[in-house]
Amino acid sequence: MRILEGIRIALQQIWAHKLKSVFTLVGVIIGITFLIAVITVVEGVNRYVQDDFAGAIFGINTFSVVRRNQVQTGSESQEQRRRQARNPYLTMHDVEVVRQAVPDAWRFSYSVDRGFGEVSYNERSRRNIRVIGGSDGYETMQGWDVAEGRGLSPLDERRSLKVAVIGADIAEKLFPDQSPLGKRIRLGANRLEVVGVWEKQGGLLGVIRDASVLVPISTFRETMAWQRDRIGEITVKAHTVEEMEAAMLEVEAALRRDRKLRPGIENNFWLQTSNDLLGAWDKINRILFAALPGLVSISLVVGGIVIMNIMLLSVAGRIREIGVRKALGARRRDIMYQFLAESSTLSVAGAAIGIGLGIGLGKTVDALTPLPASVPLWSIVVSLVLGLVVGVGSGIYPAYRAARQDPIVALRYE
Amino acid sequence: MSVADDIVIHTRDLKKHYVMGTETVRALRGVDVDIRRNEYIAIMGPSGSGKSTLMNLIGCLDTPTSGEYILNGQPVQDLDDDDLARIRNREIGFVFQTFNLLPRASALHNVELPLIYAGVSSRERMQRARKALEQVDLADRMDHKPNELSGGQRQRVAIARALVNQPSIILADEPTGNLDSVTSEEIMSVFDGLHRAGQTIIMVTHEPHITAHAERVITLRDGEIESHDARVLIPATGA
Ligand SMILES: Nc1ncnc2c1ncn2[C@@H]1O[C@H](COP(=O)(O)OP(=O)(O)O)[C@@H](O)[C@H]1O
Ligand SMILES: [Mg+2]
Repeated sequence: MRILEGIRIALQQIWAHKLKSVFTLVGVIIGITFLIAVITVVEGVNRYVQDDFAGAIFGINTFSVVRRNQVQTGSESQEQRRRQARNPYLTMHDVEVVRQAVPDAWRFSYSVDRGFGEVSYNERSRRNIRVIGGSDGYETMQGWDVAEGRGLSPLDERRSLKVAVIGADIAEKLFPDQSPLGKRIRLGANRLEVVGVWEKQGGLLGVIRDASVLVPISTFRETMAWQRDRIGEITVKAHTVEEMEAAMLEVEAALRRDRKLRPGIENNFWLQTSNDLLGAWDKINRILFAALPGLVSISLVVGGIVIMNIMLLSVAGRIREIGVRKALGARRRDIMYQFLAESSTLSVAGAAIGIGLGIGLGKTVDALTPLPASVPLWSIVVSLVLGLVVGVGSGIYPAYRAARQDPIVALRYE
Repeated sequence: MSVADDIVIHTRDLKKHYVMGTETVRALRGVDVDIRRNEYIAIMGPSGSGKSTLMNLIGCLDTPTSGEYILNGQPVQDLDDDDLARIRNREIGFVFQTFNLLPRASALHNVELPLIYAGVSSRERMQRARKALEQVDLADRMDHKPNELSGGQRQRVAIARALVNQPSIILADEPTGNLDSVTSEEIMSVFDGLHRAGQTIIMVTHEPHITAHAERVITLRDGEIESHDARVLIPATGA
């Protein structure tokens, strides 16, 4: 009840001096805004990477054989990187080795791709597209469903037909007011008939799917590849994690046998899984969360010092009020509680404003960039607790000064 | 026994010295007073004679340098800070010359304050504060802030605040010192009403006509009691 009196007074003060209060609370507001915004974006990306991104890029229970690790975590040594750069390119021979190593795999595909191409139709064109030559089953492996037309068929591959399935962004750009189906788009020296358009993915991942052109791998190798026999990746999908891990061992053993690698010699190929990406993200995450507490505490300490000074001023301006309250029966601790409640309310109000601004900032990032934002409940709780701690911490000394006033001296104070 | 039971305030050889550097101010030099329940006492005396000092001791705002003070049968000279605060809250109602209302709080909230420190629930606080304001005829000014009230109204809010926790005594230190004579009489009639209802009142004043309202006048001079009933010596001049 006495605490309530303190909170009531604090809210009154904040309301009566809105502008001054905002300046008083600026340290706390900045600290908490920053905390929430960073956590919001990091958590959003985190959830995205774990739930969708890794799964979408690498697939669940899926691994790929590639020449070298595609995910740079910064943890490999210079030497490892140099050694991987000497790994041989994958070929159709490797495709057969892998296929025979896991004859029971649920799904199997292989592909080769090329980044940063340009497609055009009449006067319209779209840059920065990715051209993929995919084997039969590539779309199923990636989980890319067509919205219009059809996907690639085994017949397309067998006959090396000049057909393509395109991403939604490309379709929108080249065919703003007509159906792309049956149209012949130009890709370098080739003309390809559009047979299908994938559903739009949007978001961060859309950068890949929505801006890709898929052609049969045979067509790619015959008409577009710089090096005909090179294969980019061979992908195997299993039903369960256990099956996937068993399959990885089989593939590793088969490739080592085929390449005659003696025991003790490192693999000259790389088995890529979503763990590689999650590991890299984990590392970024750890760095962010290690730097965050330092930056937040600096602004909170500064904020606390400002609040303490404002509270000292507030006490000095209300000596007489303290005398009156003591005359009416307030004990030392009642006065103490009152001023602590006041500083805490101030600080928690600052934290609340910071939470609001932080969420706003996170949502802005969410809206303006492909980065998704998500506000975890714990970050709000942590922010409010931090606000309370700063409030109590910065209020103790002023509250003590207030509480030890002699009532008679205080009552006579002008 | 019944006489002793009736004594609200009993002091013997009460002394208060202020040490200021090398100098010692003897504000009270041994004061003996006995005040019975439902008495209406005026304390007179020239400026600096120790009236406020005596009120502060009686009101437990301060502790004596030496001497005995028994309030309602309880010796209070050795009590600690928290006990003194409790006594101020339960037993004493202060009315000050300068009103001492909280400027940003409504009349109602000002009157509620003692009840907050008494731990009274907010609903009961509200009821009792309303009743106290009605008692001083301010039922229609409850939500006004002090700066929206006249001097007389402010002092009535202060009286309501002094009353609200049903104290044993009301201590008023020159309650009309900041008011014009018409308003002073208005305030004095509020005190008269409280006294008729059974309230014990001690009032400091240096205006002789104010003492006419009291039953007994204690006159202080240089920190000592000069006389116990000055009313026969200084006849009331009327308002
Ligand atoms: N806190 C104090 N410190 C020093 N001297 C004081 C203090 N309070 C009162 N005095 C002195 O004690 C004497 C009595 O003061 P006071 O009780 O206020 O007189 P009154 O109320 O009768 O005018 C005066 O000489 C005054 O200066
Ligand atoms: Mg005085």
